[in-house]
Amino acid sequence: MSQPTIHELYRALVSGQLSRRQFIAKAAAIGITAPALGFFLKAAEARAQDEPTPVPADVAAPAVATPCEGDGCLFAGQTVTFLTPNETIQVPIFEVRDEFEAATGAKLDIVLAAMNDTLPNLLQDVANGTGAYDASIIGAWWLGELVEGDYLIAIDDWLADDRFPQWSLDSVLPAIRNLMQYDGKTYEIAYDSDGQAFYYRRDLFTDPDHQTAFKAEAGYDLPDPPTTWDQVIDIAKYFNGKPFGPDGEAGSGITMHLAVGQQAMFHFMTFSAPFVIGPDNPQLYWFSPDDMTPLITSPGHVQAINYLVELSKLGPEAMMAWGLTESWDYFLSGKAAMTFTWGDLGALAQETPERGGKSLVKGMTKTVQCPGTMSYYNIVAGADAPTDAPNIVGNTTGGSWAPVISKFAKSPEAAYYVCALMATEPKAKAYAARGFDGVDPGRTFDFPPPDGTGNIEDYVKAGWDEQDAKDYTNAYFQTFSNPLQFPYLRIPGTFEYWLALDTHLSEAMTGQSSPEDALNAAASEFEDITERFGRDLQLDSYKRSFGFE
Amino acid sequence: MSETTAPDSIGSTLGAPNTARASRKRDRTRWYFIGPAIIWILLFTLFPLLYAIRTSFYAFRSGKMLRWVGFDNYRNLWEDEALRSDLQRTIVYVTVVVVVEMVLGFLLALLFNRQMRGVSSLRTIMVLPLFASPIALGYLGKTIFYEIDGPVNRAIEALGGNGIPWLSDPTWAFVAIMIVDIWQWTPFVFLVSLAGLQALPQDITEAAEVDGASALQRLFSITLPLMAPILWLILLLRTIDAFKVVDIVISMTLGGPGRATELYGFYVFRTARRFFNYGSAAAQGYLLLVIVMILVSLLWGRIRNLYEHDVEAR
Amino acid sequence: MDAYLERIRRHPTRLLGDLFVIFMLIVVIAWTLFPLYWAFINSIKFPYDVYGTKWIPWLQFEPTAKYWRQLLGEREIRSAIKNSLIISIGAATLAIALGTLAAYGLARFRFDRPSNGELTTWFLSQRVLPPVIFVTPFYLLARQLDTWNVPYLGLDSVWTLVLLNATFNLPFPVIILTQMFREIPREIEEAAQVDGASRLQIFLRIALPLVAPGLVVSFVIVMAFSWNEYILAVTIAVKNAIPVPVIIAGAESTRGIDYQAVGTRTVLALLPPAIIALIASRYIIRGLSLGAVKG
Repeated sequence: MSQPTIHELYRALVSGQLSRRQFIAKAAAIGITAPALGFFLKAAEARAQDEPTPVPADVAAPAVATPCEGDGCLFAGQTVTFLTPNETIQVPIFEVRDEFEAATGAKLDIVLAAMNDTLPNLLQDVANGTGAYDASIIGAWWLGELVEGDYLIAIDDWLADDRFPQWSLDSVLPAIRNLMQYDGKTYEIAYDSDGQAFYYRRDLFTDPDHQTAFKAEAGYDLPDPPTTWDQVIDIAKYFNGKPFGPDGEAGSGITMHLAVGQQAMFHFMTFSAPFVIGPDNPQLYWFSPDDMTPLITSPGHVQAINYLVELSKLGPEAMMAWGLTESWDYFLSGKAAMTFTWGDLGALAQETPERGGKSLVKGMTKTVQCPGTMSYYNIVAGADAPTDAPNIVGNTTGGSWAPVISKFAKSPEAAYYVCALMATEPKAKAYAARGFDGVDPGRTFDFPPPDGTGNIEDYVKAGWDEQDAKDYTNAYFQTFSNPLQFPYLRIPGTFEYWLALDTHLSEAMTGQSSPEDALNAAASEFEDITERFGRDLQLDSYKRSFGFE
Repeated sequence: MSETTAPDSIGSTLGAPNTARASRKRDRTRWYFIGPAIIWILLFTLFPLLYAIRTSFYAFRSGKMLRWVGFDNYRNLWEDEALRSDLQRTIVYVTVVVVVEMVLGFLLALLFNRQMRGVSSLRTIMVLPLFASPIALGYLGKTIFYEIDGPVNRAIEALGGNGIPWLSDPTWAFVAIMIVDIWQWTPFVFLVSLAGLQALPQDITEAAEVDGASALQRLFSITLPLMAPILWLILLLRTIDAFKVVDIVISMTLGGPGRATELYGFYVFRTARRFFNYGSAAAQGYLLLVIVMILVSLLWGRIRNLYEHDVEAR
Repeated sequence: MDAYLERIRRHPTRLLGDLFVIFMLIVVIAWTLFPLYWAFINSIKFPYDVYGTKWIPWLQFEPTAKYWRQLLGEREIRSAIKNSLIISIGAATLAIALGTLAAYGLARFRFDRPSNGELTTWFLSQRVLPPVIFVTPFYLLARQLDTWNVPYLGLDSVWTLVLLNATFNLPFPVIILTQMFREIPREIEEAAQVDGASRLQIFLRIALPLVAPGLVVSFVIVMAFSWNEYILAVTIAVKNAIPVPVIIAGAESTRGIDYQAVGTRTVLALLPPAIIALIASRYIIRGLSLGAVKG
């Protein structure tokens, strides 16, 4: 395919081979195609020169395993098939592949599935006993489904076995460790740690003008950090519509991801935790441990949803349809004063356009533990329980993605070897610090002193702003070590319960039903789901998953 | 109608049973033609159909059959308010998109049924939406209908209007997914109708024009009756497929906000693939089968006269 | 040109009509192409340009070939396109072969129990059930084939998907071609019959060539549906058989949607079937008429 140049065309015009109109048309075509063609040629050239490397060398995780030879190869001839959501968290698995294969003689096949198809595909495999997958990365709420179905191998025996790379269960902060275990046994190998923290713009909160104006409006000093949701609502009211956005655009008080099916129920869980959970009620949130009656219509829950609906009016209306990216992008582009979400945002805030990201808020993003309340509704006592200090509850809402080994695995030990390799300290530390692979910090060596044994330099080396990194790691350390934790539901059908909550929550947010009606409707769906699975079975699972007597 | 039926009635002697032997032979021959397709379909759908029926009598837990529940899954269909509202919503959806697609597609076909240079390129372009993956379209829809700075809202604002809450407002979100469906399938109606129009005998319309019939008269008394068999066919195919829309919802709204865009096909999909409640999903699937087949039979009753006269006439 | 001007002079309202047609032509083309254009420019934007009013590359944003480079460098997408081509062309071929025979049978013979109408309705009903309720039985079937060591078929096999897509799309060729065969004047076939041609000969030598456009259009329609089929593919395909729609669905993650990936994949996924359809488009237009062969 040769492109005639303008010059050749011109000669054709002069010599009468082309009419004027043809000339203009062809010239225009060249005008459009030439840059476009050049553009793609450039793409092809660049591809030939530098094949994109998935992990930049400067943040690559160090090698841990030593290559084997001959009989030293533990799993020679075996193949491990590893199922993982097609997410950033797949990066370490690909990264570790060569090292694993060299160290054991086994082969590692990685199967990527869309996030929403991973569990269905895994469950289809194990429920029918096929065994096509040896290991899979799962979200923590799948664990109940899989353990209750008797589909997984407990890894406790392998933990001390020195044939495998060594990693310590104790290095995982308690809240996350609980998620890896079920009914006294350990099923997950340490990997990702999820929880929602509270993010806000350090620069806005320390701005004297805003401080003065806020005090005039709210009657008290702008709290930095805010410690109760009441304060957050006041602050959101103050900042909403103020021209703090880029180029003096009007900004929003808060941003959230509230679309149905996009994990908006996690927002409610995090938000409502301190309205229900407190020192005298550390665990009852979802169901009564006597008969599985839903508790989500308690006065505490109702107060929480009313607050959340009020808060949702202080952000862009569009967020009713937002998933994580849209909401994060909004914060990253400097248009929101506050948000609460997962650790990814802290890492993404460091990805400035020069680094290929979209963040305009590097160095301005302060992370703290999510705020609390001054009073919660104690379900056990059936009464409001005021607290002297803010009642702040930690959470592990989210996936906390981690690998498990299938009971039908063809090469279970080799599969465990890969997972253990990724869980070793040098590797896990590198994953958490670089952030872009979505493995969020949750182990003692991820946190700088005095919280843990890590160091802030790892983060700075990976491109973090030092203050941002300090606040961030401290916020997550607090969140995961808080003695009060949001009770994480992990029984069969969890996703169905959650989606019922999610759907009705969205109805309340978009004014299709009142907040109270939404919770009532969700509770009534909870009952239907429980009935269908069998109340006794569900009650058993519920007790087992929380370790009730 | 006499113009179209005339050639067919002449053909009615074809394969006529002259003798009993010929009749038996014809008996066998006809099954040679239709047999392979029937056997093929039975081979591939009989087991799944029976399996799904069995499934529909069980409760599931963790992806495994838990226990026999008799007709509970079917009984639950009547008590499931979400399902009922989804079904109503789906009927609205199907009615609106199919009607709009039929009307738009046919009108455009009428408009462009002329000798013009642009028209042939239009036909070429109109083939493209049929091949766009609905999953991808849903994702694309999210950017196109993006409320802050999205292209649609920017265009509206440039024309002096206010941005529309395309995805965050229950009603508009419903409109948005319908627009995507209409974008993808109007070309189908357009292409089929245009081809049908171009195949109409020119002399009839021209004769009518000479007789002084107005454009509207020609449309209603000549074009529409002649086009009826094709239009009914399109209507039938589109209706069946519109009832099953899943992919656009999966990728664009996941049924939200609230349940505003939760269509029946998506509901069944989610029951099976997200909740692993295969029993209820099977029952829901059969309910859809019954409803759509009733509709198809009603439509078919109308079409039969237009469509089967030659076979019946024999 | 002059004749045209002359006509306009005589009927000045025609000009308005023509202008309206041209205006509508532009509107319709813009409406149809815009989403595809949008997919394309998304694919050449950096992430921070995705939202917002950036419509024109170079002028409003600096385009990047990075995502196309990534895409073309991915082994997955190449194998997915290959799989999708096998699935869609294979399913279309099979469905046409079976569907044409059945359509001819329905068009030319009378069936009593069940009647032609009932048979046609039965064929149509194959499209009514949501495929998702068949997912588990098909999965079990495919796995059973694996345990029997049936060559080519089984889980994670494109050929299984070929068979399944052919089954679910069979109604299209049956319905479309029945109508087409019916439109063939019977005199032609009768003449051949008088000359002593067998039924099969008549079908192959006379009827089939006459419905060629219908064959093409059914082929393209089945191909399009099989190309875009997602739900069966996502359950049967484990690794090697993964087709394009499953890859596209993978563009959404917990971190949200990778719009560049959606853009590149949408455009790339559109190209192969669109090229085939464009090549066949002359036939498609004729074939879609369902009446083009009349008289």
